[in-house]
Amino acid sequence: MEYVSPEGLRLDGRRPMEMRQIRAEIGAVSKADGSAIFEMGNTKVIAAVYGPREVQNRSQQISSHALVRCEYCMANFSTGDRMRKSKGDRRSTEISLVIRQTMEACILTHLLPRSQIDIYVQVLQADGGTRSACINAATLALADAGIPMRDLVTSCSAGYLNSTPLLDLNYVEDSAGGPDVTLGILPKLDKVTLLQMDSKLPIDILENVMQLAIEGCKAIANYIREILLANTKQLEYRRGV
Amino acid sequence: MVGLSLGETHFIQGGIAQDLRCDGRKRLTYRPISVETGVIPQTNGSARVRMGATDVIASVKAELGKPSLLQPDKGKVSIYIDCSSTAEPAFEGRGGDELAAELSNALQHCLLGGKSGEGAGIDLSSLIVVEGKICWDLYIDGLVVSSDGNLLDALGAAIKAALSNTGIPRVEVAAGTSNDEHPEVDVSDEEFLQFDTSRVPVIVTLTKVGRHYIVDATSEEESQMSSGVSISVNRQGHICGITKRGGVGLDPSIILDMISVAKHVSEQLINKLDSEIASAEADEES
Repeated sequence: MEYVSPEGLRLDGRRPMEMRQIRAEIGAVSKADGSAIFEMGNTKVIAAVYGPREVQNRSQQISSHALVRCEYCMANFSTGDRMRKSKGDRRSTEISLVIRQTMEACILTHLLPRSQIDIYVQVLQADGGTRSACINAATLALADAGIPMRDLVTSCSAGYLNSTPLLDLNYVEDSAGGPDVTLGILPKLDKVTLLQMDSKLPIDILENVMQLAIEGCKAIANYIREILLANTKQLEYRRGV
Repeated sequence: MVGLSLGETHFIQGGIAQDLRCDGRKRLTYRPISVETGVIPQTNGSARVRMGATDVIASVKAELGKPSLLQPDKGKVSIYIDCSSTAEPAFEGRGGDELAAELSNALQHCLLGGKSGEGAGIDLSSLIVVEGKICWDLYIDGLVVSSDGNLLDALGAAIKAALSNTGIPRVEVAAGTSNDEHPEVDVSDEEFLQFDTSRVPVIVTLTKVGRHYIVDATSEEESQMSSGVSISVNRQGHICGITKRGGVGLDPSIILDMISVAKHVSEQLINKLDSEIASAEADEES
């Protein structure tokens, strides 16, 4: 199968280094302390943050910094073929752990000792790049909740098909069996907080693919900053400052 | 959710007794309802309904399957509800399963009718492709995204809107197939059948607080309820299902009174909902 045409266009008409359309909305769940919806093309994710609040399970309390917990869940209707499964399957647990570790790296947990921050991520529609969208949604939700963070965490995936590095794979490209690199960075600090890769890839090509993913992460960071800035201006307007 | 203090409790109950609730509504007034259709493009039909701070998503997926042996001339419809943890931290892990099962059962009774299929809001015979062999299976999934009371009414409204948004591909059966073999079917990519949702009922939940009952209770009002009755009413004014919640018993005459009030309230709700669905569909097409 051909994923990149000779004219350099992908199946959905994008160039190899082009991202899908990104859209974000802050404050989707009114009862949560912070919430956000993040869309990357047809992938749609909603995240909610509760906290900082009292630790529910006292045995998990940490006296020097905050406990960060995360739960990832996919809706039954979120994939092309409907699936019926309960929470806590292996993939959900793995992604929950990935999101938690990534968020822990950017939250200033030492400022909130003996407290708990809950991050809940729900996938409404999945079309590739799900965990990247989850991390971006969680970042927006944490910012909306006013949790102190070192930097925004943004995430993007990249792949390598038909001898071409591709940015932001969709579901068809993800299922093609080629390499898939998921990267999460702190864009201002220029640090990598998440790196996952499957399949085989020569190391020099890996560098190219990683670089491509980093560019994607920075583009998402710019967009997220714009969203937060617009939201802050809206709040400022409402307060009549 | 933090519990209410005694003063707050008295304030809520006193307000309801005086027909003035915390948010300024009367006892039989709904919160603002907004409907959005086509929110999940990968499904056959989907809708998102907001009632105040309650936010639910419903979707419909259609798959070809085999009819039940008991009713070979009817398709199958099932309803599943999921409570997302984003709505409430208590729903984490399996915390939402009990409420989800309760909502699933209530919606099944209110919307799908009896085991024979009589009274269902959907004409199940229209889902048959080949009698006894192939039919459409409809999977209706509801997801609670934000929870501020009155989930049942919101889910009922969302399912009605999602069914109205549903397009089922037209299926052609290959001619010349032997009657004994499994028929070959060709699913169209372009032609879609739409549902007649005029018979799909709406659900009105009346919650008893003190000596009065209210519609569209918020979380705080629900925490003060002694019992509640959910009544499913269709456009013709027929009762399609009744579910009672809460442990305290109700006087039979009060239940009859609740039913007549629900029937009255449902007229406004159906009209409001139908106009919202129509404008949402129009918005989606533009």
